Amino acid sequence: MVKVGLVGAGTMGAVHAEAYTRMSGVQLVGITDVRADAAAQLAAACGTRAWPNLDQLLEEADPDVVDVCVPTYLHRSLVERIAGAGKHIICEKPIARTLEDARAMMRAADAAGVRLFIAHVLRFFPEYRRARDLIAAGKVGQPGTVRTMRGGVFPRGWDDWYASVDKCGTLIVDMIIHDFDFLRWCFGEVERVFARSCLGRELNRIDHALVSLRFRNGVIGHVEGTWAYPEGFRTELEVAGTAGILHHDSTEATPVHAWYRQGATDGGGVSVPESPLAKGPYQVELEHFIDCIVNGTAPVVTAEDAYRALEISLAALQSATTGQPVSLPMDGGDHA
Amino acid sequence: MRFGIVSFAHMHAYSYAECLKALEGAELAAVADEDEGRGRAAAQRFGAAYFRDYQDLLRLDLDGVIICSENARHAEMVVAAAEAGKHVLCEKPIATSVPDAQRMIDACREKGVHLQIAFPCRFNPPVRRVKEAVARGALGRILAIRGTNRGQNPGGWFANRELSGGGAVLDHTVHVVDLMRWYLGAEVKEVYAEVDTRFGARDIDDCGLLMLEFDNGVFASHDPSWSRCRSFPTWGDVTVEVIGTDGVMRADAFAQHLTLYSDETGRVSHEAWADSMDMLLIADFVDMVQSGRPPSITGEDGLRAMEVALAAYESARTHRPVRLRA
Repeated sequence: MVKVGLVGAGTMGAVHAEAYTRMSGVQLVGITDVRADAAAQLAAACGTRAWPNLDQLLEEADPDVVDVCVPTYLHRSLVERIAGAGKHIICEKPIARTLEDARAMMRAADAAGVRLFIAHVLRFFPEYRRARDLIAAGKVGQPGTVRTMRGGVFPRGWDDWYASVDKCGTLIVDMIIHDFDFLRWCFGEVERVFARSCLGRELNRIDHALVSLRFRNGVIGHVEGTWAYPEGFRTELEVAGTAGILHHDSTEATPVHAWYRQGATDGGGVSVPESPLAKGPYQVELEHFIDCIVNGTAPVVTAEDAYRALEISLAALQSATTGQPVSLPMDGGDHA
Repeated sequence: MRFGIVSFAHMHAYSYAECLKALEGAELAAVADEDEGRGRAAAQRFGAAYFRDYQDLLRLDLDGVIICSENARHAEMVVAAAEAGKHVLCEKPIATSVPDAQRMIDACREKGVHLQIAFPCRFNPPVRRVKEAVARGALGRILAIRGTNRGQNPGGWFANRELSGGGAVLDHTVHVVDLMRWYLGAEVKEVYAEVDTRFGARDIDDCGLLMLEFDNGVFASHDPSWSRCRSFPTWGDVTVEVIGTDGVMRADAFAQHLTLYSDETGRVSHEAWADSMDMLLIADFVDMVQSGRPPSITGEDGLRAMEVALAAYESARTHRPVRLRA
């Protein structure tokens, strides 16, 4: 039985906690959050207990793994403490707000001899996995261009941290890092980044970003991210190659739609689209990380992958700020 | 748990065999097929023993068998499996006549084996979402349902009435009528149908439209046609839409796909990323055999769905609604 502790009872913490309760061979031994009531509520819903702080969770619940689901800028300090206690770590994406923090987290895990997994869940979404398999199988020939889209309504989080550029890094660091990681998984390293976004123009709970990526293998990528919609969430992917085009639009691929009446017969209603799976991608991802710990195997996505994805995000953020293209690597290292 | 597959006449046998191979705790030990070339190839592909005569397979120490023969031969094989004390998963439709289906159900009951009918759509997660919404009353009182299960003519024995018992209307009515019965917990009372051959099949129906009345007052329509052209991006569809007093809900069982435009094939195709409902069906069957619990989909379910299709043929002949029950 692998014992898991959870830090953070917000949106992602709740998703991860629910996934752990569905897994066999895993016991959720406790949840902690700076908001004691949020921790208590989630713990009750998941049949585990809330702890007043991380130290008590680490010492008294004695987990094998701690899952970190807190705002990005807090990752480093927590991960360093957890590594110091000798526990394995699963940490939400993005790995950190800065490359310096990210590298420090990786070093802390290495020094302590514990595993550090970054939850880039898109690699566990069946539509994206299938797309990568088809591209790798040559179904579109040689890929030439790729376009992605992701987004919806501006998110609400604790302390409204998503609205802080310093804490969150805008949707460029928080959200379309999913697409950066996925595209890097498919097409390899990025050579050059150029981006335009609402940063510095208009950020009143509205954000939108358009990012140009040039990959070392020549592929030209366009990544669009949005928190400008009044509601909802959707994703798109299109890969055009010499012999074919692969297309995904979450709106078209949504198998369940419900329209519920509210109140009287002529009253307004709500529309609910849904894409159910027998086992959700978050559970598939977390089972994979637990399996890597139990069997000592390499994960589908490494901390180094997460670092490189963050680098693309930060390059895009810099480009959006300066109006100039940014060449990678930013840290002066060598990707080869 | 050791299983056998009797006949690879129905192509679903290959999918079920793959599922058995992939499932922990299940083993495909033997296959039987009177078509020796087909049977030996399947036995080799799946690493199972081959028998020409299915009676020889039924003498083995097996926990369950899957029957994937031509529709008209289900009855003799299921009855034989029951007499050999084997639990059975039978491909749909259950049979080609009501007496045959009843004989299968009775034989399994008498011999104390479980008979499950292969209606994999019940395991499709989008389809299940609608079931859950109906069950918790989220849509209010159900007024109507409309379904489609359109596809392409599989050819071969499917288009040979003696072996198949019917064309598109039998082949593609039973899945969705089963879903409607499952959603409603009600039986079809009356069937009106138009049936014809308009897509090039020979001597067998390849299209139609069913209008149904359930015994709880719900009305429904269903399109079972083999009407998808060759350039259609996939084999066909399963859709169901439920209209209730508090809402409307729609499931498209195969919407979870990418679209691939290929110059190599000159085609547009759907590349599925949905859960495999065959895998969920076979896992359910293996679990039933292992635990000894009753089947989640019974022989009676198979019979009730089949009789709707048979009534559709009668209605199309007489141009009158056919009453199945008072």
